[in-house]
Amino acid sequence: MSSTERPVSGGAPDQEVWATMQASPEFGDLRRRLRRFVFPMTVLFLGWYLLYVILADYAHGFMSIKVVGNINVGLVLGLLQFVSTFLITTLYVRHANKNLDPLAEDLRRRVEKEDA
Amino acid sequence: MVQNNWALGGVILAMALTIGVGVYGGRRSKTTPDFLVASRTIKPHANAAAIAGEYLSAASFLGVAGLVFTKGATGLWYPIGYAGGYLMLLLFVAAPLRRSGAYTVPDFAEARLGSVGLRRLCTAVVVLLGWWYLVPQFQGAGLTLATFTGVPPWLGGLAVAITVTINVVGGGMRAITLVQAFQYYLKLFALAFPAFLLFFVFLNDDRAEYRSLSEPLPPAFARETTIDVKTAVRLQVSQAVSLRAKGTIDGAPVDGGAFWATGTVKSVDKGTKLIFPAGAPVPSVTTAAADNASWLRPMSGGWPQAMEIWSLMFATFFGTMGLPHVLVRFYTNPDGSSARTTTLYVLVLVGGFYLFSLIFAGLSRLYVPELLVTGQDNAAVLLLPTAMLNNWFGQLLAALTAAGAFAAFLSTSSGLVVSVAGVLSTDVLPGRVRDFRLATIFASTVPIVCALLFPNLGAAQAVGLALCLAASTFCPLLILGIWYRRLTPFGATMGILTGGGVVLGSTAYVLLTTSTSGWVNSLVAQPGMISVPLSFLAMWFFSKLTPRSVPRDVAQVMLRMHAPDRLGFTKDRDVQRFGNQSQPPVDVSKRTSTTLSGWANRRQRK
Repeated sequence: MSSTERPVSGGAPDQEVWATMQASPEFGDLRRRLRRFVFPMTVLFLGWYLLYVILADYAHGFMSIKVVGNINVGLVLGLLQFVSTFLITTLYVRHANKNLDPLAEDLRRRVEKEDA
Repeated sequence: MVQNNWALGGVILAMALTIGVGVYGGRRSKTTPDFLVASRTIKPHANAAAIAGEYLSAASFLGVAGLVFTKGATGLWYPIGYAGGYLMLLLFVAAPLRRSGAYTVPDFAEARLGSVGLRRLCTAVVVLLGWWYLVPQFQGAGLTLATFTGVPPWLGGLAVAITVTINVVGGGMRAITLVQAFQYYLKLFALAFPAFLLFFVFLNDDRAEYRSLSEPLPPAFARETTIDVKTAVRLQVSQAVSLRAKGTIDGAPVDGGAFWATGTVKSVDKGTKLIFPAGAPVPSVTTAAADNASWLRPMSGGWPQAMEIWSLMFATFFGTMGLPHVLVRFYTNPDGSSARTTTLYVLVLVGGFYLFSLIFAGLSRLYVPELLVTGQDNAAVLLLPTAMLNNWFGQLLAALTAAGAFAAFLSTSSGLVVSVAGVLSTDVLPGRVRDFRLATIFASTVPIVCALLFPNLGAAQAVGLALCLAASTFCPLLILGIWYRRLTPFGATMGILTGGGVVLGSTAYVLLTTSTSGWVNSLVAQPGMISVPLSFLAMWFFSKLTPRSVPRDVAQVMLRMHAPDRLGFTKDRDVQRFGNQSQPPVDVSKRTSTTLSGWANRRQRK
C-alpha cells in the first residue's frame, strides 16, 4: 500500500475483509493501545476522587490547614479535581491524535483497498 | 419577592433573542438529518459551546451556587461530578458510538443486539428520562419569574415551554445548535459579569457586621431582616439569638419576642413572620452547614454522608453518558477526532462556568443569609445583586442573572425536547419532517402538564434522580454493548429493568415516606451506589444465562465500532434511514445497490 493511493469509495467492505481485518495484528495493536490508556487512567481518576471523599471524612485537621487567607487544603483539593479532569482529557486527546489515529487511518485504507 | 421590572425585561429579551437566533439558524433546515443531527456539520468549538449551553441547566446556573451556598465545600461534589461525567463519556463511549452510526440509544441497542423489543424499551426510557428532566426546568422557570414579578409560577413554565416548542418545530437541531451556543455565552456573561462586579463591591465593603468566612460562627444579618416563612422549615440554632416572631413555632402560637438557645432545633410553620435585629446570628435549615468554618470544610457527616457522596458520584459520573440530549450532540461532529476536541472544549467551558458559581455562593453567604432560614437556596444567584447594590445598577445586574437563568431553562429544555421528539418521530412515527414537528409538540406538552399538576416536586432531587436513572439503564447498556462481546438482548433488557426498577422504586419510597435520616435513607434517596452496579451485574448474569442469543454478527459489529472512522458505514446508515436527500446522488447509487452488508441493513432483511 503506497501513500499516494487514494481510498476507493466503494461500498462498505464485505464480511471476509472484516474477518481478516479483525484477526490482523494491527487491529489487535490498536485495541491494545486504547485499552492500555483508558483502563489505567480510569482507575487512576476514580481513585483520586475516592481519596478526596475519604480525606474529607477522616482527615479534618489536614483538610482545614489554611493555605492562603480563607482558602484551606480541602478547597484546593476540590478545585484540583476540576484540574485533574481537564488534564486527563487533554492527555487522552493527545494520545488519540498521536498514537491511535495514524494506526486507524492505515487500517482503514487497507480495508477499503482490499474491498475494492 | 422583589419587584423588579428590569428583570422582567431581561427575561423577555432572552426569550426574544432565543427565537430570533433560532429562526436565523433554522432557515436552512429542510431535511430530516438537518433536524436530527444538523447533518453532522457543526465545528468543534460551536458544538462545544452548544453542549455546554445545553448541559448548564437550571440545576447548574442556580443550583450549584445554591448548593455551595448552603452546604459549602461539600456542594462542590455536584460540579465535580458533572464535569467528571464528561470524561467517562469521552473515554468509553463517544468514539465507538459515533462509529456505530446509531443516532440514539434505541438505534444503538437495535444495531448492536438486533432486538426490536429492546429498542422499544430504550425508546421508553429515553422519553421518560427526557420528561423527568424537563419538568424541573419548567418549574424553575416559573419560580424565577415569580421571584421577580409576582406572576403565578405556572406562567413562567408555560412561557418557556411555548418558546422551546416554536423554536424546535421551526428549525430542529440545526437551529438549536446555534441557539445553544448563543445561550452558553449569554449564561456565561450573565454569571461572570455580575460576579466580577459584586466581588469588587465586596472588596470595598468593610462593615463589621460581615463575619469572616473562616470563623466557627454562623453568618450574621447585616441589617434588621424580616422573613416570611412560605414553606415550613426546621432551623438549627448554632448561636443563641433573640428575635421577634408572629405565627407558629414548635407547634405553639407565638406573637412578640422570642429567645432561641444555642443548639436547639426549631420547627417554624408556614405563614410565620420572623424579625431578626441587625447583627443577629443566622439560624439555618437543618440541611445546611450552620457555621462558616464547617462550611469551608468538605463534609463531616460520617458514613451516611460518605455513602451519599459516593452514590452521587456514581450517578453523575455514569449518568452523563446516558443523557439523551448530551449523547446526540456527539453525532453532530463531522468525525471522531473533532468529537474528542469538542469534549475538551466542553470541559473548559463547563469548568470555567462553575468558578463563577463559587464566587456567587461565597458572597451569598455574607449578603443574603436570610435564604438560609427559608431554605430557598436556588434564589441566591437571583437575589444577591440587589442585596449588595440597592440601586438601579443592582437591579440591572439582577435582570442579567434572571435573563441568564432563563437562557438556562430554554437551552436545556430545547435539547431535551429535540431528543425526545427525535426518538418519538423515528420510532413511533414514520420519521418525516412533519412527524418530527408533531412529536415536538407532544414532547413538550406532557412535561408542562406534569409541571403544572405537581408544582411541589423537588427540582434538585428530580435532576439527581434523572441522572441516576440514566446511570442505571443506559450507561451499562452502552459500556457493555461497546466492550463486552457476550451481551445478549435478554441480558440487556433485564439490566435496564433492574437498574431502572431500583431507581423508580426508591423514588416512590422517598415520595411516600417522611423520615430523612440514617444511612438506609440516604442510600434510598441517592440510590446510584446500589442501582448502577446491580444493573451491570444483571446484564452480565442474564447474558451468561442466554449464551445462544448472542447476536451472530457480534464480531463484525464490534470491529466496526472499534475500527477506524469513516469506513463508509456512517453514510450507509444515513442513506438507509433518510433516503438520498442529504447525499450526492452518485454516492447513494453506489452504496445502496449491492454492497451494503452487516448490521446496517439488518432491519431491512427481517
